[in-house]
Amino acid sequence: MDLELAILFLQQGLVSGLVIGSVYALLALSIVMIFKTSEVPNFAAGEVFMAAAYCALFLMVFRALPVWLAIPLTLATSFLVAALFRRGVLTQVAKASGSPVNLVIATLGLSYVLKGLVRRTGYGDTPRSFPALVSTDSVMIGQASLTRLDMAIFVAAVVVMAAVFWLFAYTKVGRSMRAVGMNPKAARLMGVNIERVHMLVWGLSAVISAIAALLIAPKILMTAEMGSVVTMAFAAAIVGGFTSLPGAVVGGFVIGIVENLVGLFISSRAIVVAPFLVIMLVLIFRPQGLFGGRFAIKKV
Amino acid sequence: MANPLLSVENLTISFGGIVAVRDFSIAVEPGTIHALIGPNGAGKSTTFNCISRLYKPNAGRIIFDGQEITHLPSSAMAGLGIARSFQNLELFNELTVLENMLIGAHVHCGGSFGDRLAAHPPAVMREIDAIIERTGLAPYRETKARNLDFGHQKLLELARALAIKPRLLLLDEPAAGLRNREIAALDTLLTDLARKEGLTIIIVEHVMALVMSISDRVTVLNFGTKIAEGTPAEVKGNTAVIEAYLGKEVALHG
Repeated sequence: MDLELAILFLQQGLVSGLVIGSVYALLALSIVMIFKTSEVPNFAAGEVFMAAAYCALFLMVFRALPVWLAIPLTLATSFLVAALFRRGVLTQVAKASGSPVNLVIATLGLSYVLKGLVRRTGYGDTPRSFPALVSTDSVMIGQASLTRLDMAIFVAAVVVMAAVFWLFAYTKVGRSMRAVGMNPKAARLMGVNIERVHMLVWGLSAVISAIAALLIAPKILMTAEMGSVVTMAFAAAIVGGFTSLPGAVVGGFVIGIVENLVGLFISSRAIVVAPFLVIMLVLIFRPQGLFGGRFAIKKV
Repeated sequence: MANPLLSVENLTISFGGIVAVRDFSIAVEPGTIHALIGPNGAGKSTTFNCISRLYKPNAGRIIFDGQEITHLPSSAMAGLGIARSFQNLELFNELTVLENMLIGAHVHCGGSFGDRLAAHPPAVMREIDAIIERTGLAPYRETKARNLDFGHQKLLELARALAIKPRLLLLDEPAAGLRNREIAALDTLLTDLARKEGLTIIIVEHVMALVMSISDRVTVLNFGTKIAEGTPAEVKGNTAVIEAYLGKEVALHG
């Protein structure tokens, strides 16, 4: 490979990596914000993402609702379903046993329920394409080519990330979320409504997953299995340390870029292993993740 | 005798057949400092955990300001005006001193939608700044709780409890791990809070000099049962108390 081509590949890999990485980053954010507040890895994140895409598809294509109505409706539905799942299922499971394992299994249950529901409607039987809301004309950045849709994905994702950071860092409700994650017992004694905080976190997390789905759906073929992309989001979360919001974002971009570079420089067949290679390298050399801070040892 | 601000009546709690506190009653007068002392494992912290609703007692009633609170959730305590500190710190470690205080003032940050979103409501900030100043935490305002030394973490526990603007303050070993100078400052602070501002304080403490100096009344627990109660001077001379602390032999011969 000559140098000129390598430089071209490098630019293309970085730019495409940032676009797909921004979607991984959003999904990783939605996983990490739940884990931070309740130490439950949400294994239904992928299916929430998939179900939200189908919800929007149903409203826009089969009900012919205008976009300005279909998108808020999709986001509101995602919020409600997730918040109610937290209140109706997880809270009850926590009360009944208190073991974190059961909470994780409950999220797996949600993933099967959502997948089952989408299959039940029949819309998931054949791969479908989602209408693009932004033109797919191509634009050049340096020597890299990408579409206007790609740019819209990146910009929208960055705006959502900024909003999440602002919420967590600079608002009362964000502070309560962080406090509940660190010490629920003390937070409760200070009068923080723990249950409401958990519902809000689940709802917001689902909204972020839904936004990721709306952004990426036009670029991929929709199937009931599209939630498997969440593997990349978990990889991103692990790279970032699993409890750090900035870590999740950086992890998302790292996974996206590595994936694209491997695809261009090595082989498109090697793409699937790239994220796991990154996870292994991170776990070997910096097991707490890039943004995980130091290891805390719990007293027994 | 004024109506007690807090009364605990016939409280009993056991864990798997072991009775931690048996038939325990106290009445705490408003504006006084009431100490709860006793050897390790006497049931002092357990009593605190019952009052702040972290443990569910097997029997007995807890009455705060004329209202029975025995069955209220712990999330209702801040709203009622009951605040506590913990023996083994329960801080929000990754939050700054200021943010810890703001969570303490959580119930006072309500109001309109804008107020709920606002991170630093001005009225609350004024009071928090005053408490931070008073407890000597001002230089550490933006320091994360986990980066404070133990003494300042203890102070932050106290300061955060004060941010609740409580009527009743439960302090679980606030002087443990403090140096003499810090204990003297704590003595002044607690005395001022009770005498000048009418705050009612229940304190569990092993530093006897502090207990004897600040307390209006002292209740002594041993093996989950009240063995003595009275003014510091009365308790100091009580034979049962000396036995509980030093053992029977010493009490007889000494």
